[in-house]
Amino acid sequence: MKAVVKDGIAVFSPQGFLDANSSNAFISLEDIEAATNIKADMILVSLKKVVFFNRNGLDIFVKLFSKIRKKNQAVVGFCDYDRKKYEAIKKFFHDELNFSLFKTLEIAHLFSNSFKNGGKNVLLYSGDKSQRSAMAIELHDSGHNPIVTQSFEEFNAKKANKNAYDYTVDSTFLGQMGQKVAARVTGNAIIYTVSSFLDAEISENFNIEYHNNSLNVGFRLFIFDVYKVVSMNIHALNFFSKLASSAAEYNATVCFVGMKFDKTPLAFKETMEDAGILFFAQMDDILQDKALLKELGASSASNVKNRRVLNKETVSELPKFIDATVVTLEMMTNAKAIKVGASVHDLSIEDKKGKIASSIGYYGDMDGMVVLVFPEPIAKKACELLIGESTNNTELILDTLAELVNIVGGRIKTLLADEAISVNITLPRTYQDVDSLMEVVANRKGVQVDLSFNGDQFLFFLTR
Amino acid sequence: MITKENINTYIEKIPPSSEILNETIALLRIGDLVKAAKVAQSDLALKSYLKNIVNKPIYGFKNEVSDVGQIFGILGVSLAQQSVYNYMISLLNPKKWVLFKLNSTLFHDLQANLSKKWETILKHLGYSDANIYAAIALLPASIIVTEALFAQKKEDVTMLRSAKALDYNTILKRLCGMGLFDICEQIANKWEMHPQIAQIIQAASGVKPSEDEESNNLGKWMHLLLFYELSQPEFISAGLNDFVDFQPEYISDIYEDFASLMEIA
Repeated sequence: MKAVVKDGIAVFSPQGFLDANSSNAFISLEDIEAATNIKADMILVSLKKVVFFNRNGLDIFVKLFSKIRKKNQAVVGFCDYDRKKYEAIKKFFHDELNFSLFKTLEIAHLFSNSFKNGGKNVLLYSGDKSQRSAMAIELHDSGHNPIVTQSFEEFNAKKANKNAYDYTVDSTFLGQMGQKVAARVTGNAIIYTVSSFLDAEISENFNIEYHNNSLNVGFRLFIFDVYKVVSMNIHALNFFSKLASSAAEYNATVCFVGMKFDKTPLAFKETMEDAGILFFAQMDDILQDKALLKELGASSASNVKNRRVLNKETVSELPKFIDATVVTLEMMTNAKAIKVGASVHDLSIEDKKGKIASSIGYYGDMDGMVVLVFPEPIAKKACELLIGESTNNTELILDTLAELVNIVGGRIKTLLADEAISVNITLPRTYQDVDSLMEVVANRKGVQVDLSFNGDQFLFFLTR
Repeated sequence: MITKENINTYIEKIPPSSEILNETIALLRIGDLVKAAKVAQSDLALKSYLKNIVNKPIYGFKNEVSDVGQIFGILGVSLAQQSVYNYMISLLNPKKWVLFKLNSTLFHDLQANLSKKWETILKHLGYSDANIYAAIALLPASIIVTEALFAQKKEDVTMLRSAKALDYNTILKRLCGMGLFDICEQIANKWEMHPQIAQIIQAASGVKPSEDEESNNLGKWMHLLLFYELSQPEFISAGLNDFVDFQPEYISDIYEDFASLMEIA
């Protein structure tokens, strides 16, 4: 069984009956290997479609959790259950509950570093006082407003006022939370979340390869969410100073948000400022200030340092890139693609109106970026299979387009792997209009392939 | 990926049931087991299938049963008709399974398990109608249809399912406006099965409740039975556990009764 990964959370969804025999069959050795290699903040098993489980059935998954945590420190646990199942799990594992329990996947998202919108009013109850506090702290640190209730009666009474809260959280338990540096993309900025004590381990937990390739594909603003950092030592200071210096070569900016210097020498701040790191008190001080975002480069993401030319290797693998895109789009739209033309030049889009775009970078044995430009009707059509209905909600379409380009990226990775070329893919990016895309790929030469789906033009662009 | 034309072509290719099978079913419908067995005997493949199925451990016979007359006699009218329908469905099996890690033995095991447990359920619910007994035979057709339509698209569908947890029934509906169980209904129509069989199968999908209360209730039991079987290790390993979506809410009112009947601790 494979996990579905979305917004930094990987979810396994077994169905039916979980006992020792069936659980073993759900998770093969290959699945364990794949799960431990998933780059996700959380790895959860959904019990939504499980009608029966016993301790032996859950044990198999709990052992898997332990292996995953040893390897990548992700948050692990179960989600999507009712109160009866919650009580049963707590009874089965009362002394060894070192994984997390989230009543719903939505609640898990609230506690995930990849959650996009902070500032939610969250009504909270747990029978365990320390859990109540732990959850309130986590939610507060993530920018939400937790409202803690002291009894289940109080929780239910307050919950009755449906409009007062965005979320209500009960039957939830926080086990060991994540330690690795989680990344998420908001607009053209990448936000990394770090916590507790920062020391030499930061260089192991931080995915420098991913960061460098984000620079390569045009990201210019990197924000470290350090609200939960208690202190840092000289090793972490050196790490961040180097990171800021290398970012400067790309004209990129590194920011720290929410850093307190009660337990960290104030001199560190000066050193970091000298290296070019900017400090802000609140995340909204950056994200809500459009002028500042523009100044910091998050709305103008052109890549200054790394304008590289297409190489022979990339061109020779071009058919695979096109194939991966065409097959995915054909699958999504159930329409046949016709290649209209291909040429090597800077990206050129004659009619920019009504078009949206997405891109994904790849790195490893080869590197580069695939850009897809869609007329809105095609984008909508392509997303219908994933969404399940026709929609005009631009945010939903862009989100789904990111999933789609992720499928394209995954397929490229597989096709290249067949030729023993190993690549990883970056997080996908989406662009609400062509102008914001042009800021990223301006003056970059690439292969442009014009395709037609049922008469609608669609554009593929491969660059480095 | 998959179009309505693909589905139509697939349905067209399904052969009509043979004269021997039609005659056997007709004789079973009027309860003439002896004549039905005589007719069935002349179809060697049917004979071999019946022998193979009823001698599986789940049927619990101490000695091997090999004569069709003997088999029909032991099974009785309802189960004999169910077994002939099981045979007809097995004729649709692909030569080689690609999407699911199945083979004919494992598929026959699934048919036998479903049939025997369906019999237990119907006895518990007090049903004796032969058509209701036969309904379970059509359920595994949904697996064969999935294999037939998606086998050539395995890579596409794996990629799609890695991005979103979509079952095959939903994918097919979104692509063609027609689900797996609609295709099963068309097979039932083509083979002139009793209309209630298709009704129960549609309800057993868990996403299309029947307006007929009896068919809907039987659909719930069949839906839960399907997932009880698909939670067995051999069928999970075959990749069948999530080929369609399980609907726990749909079966919530019969779960306790089912669990006690199947002795689920």
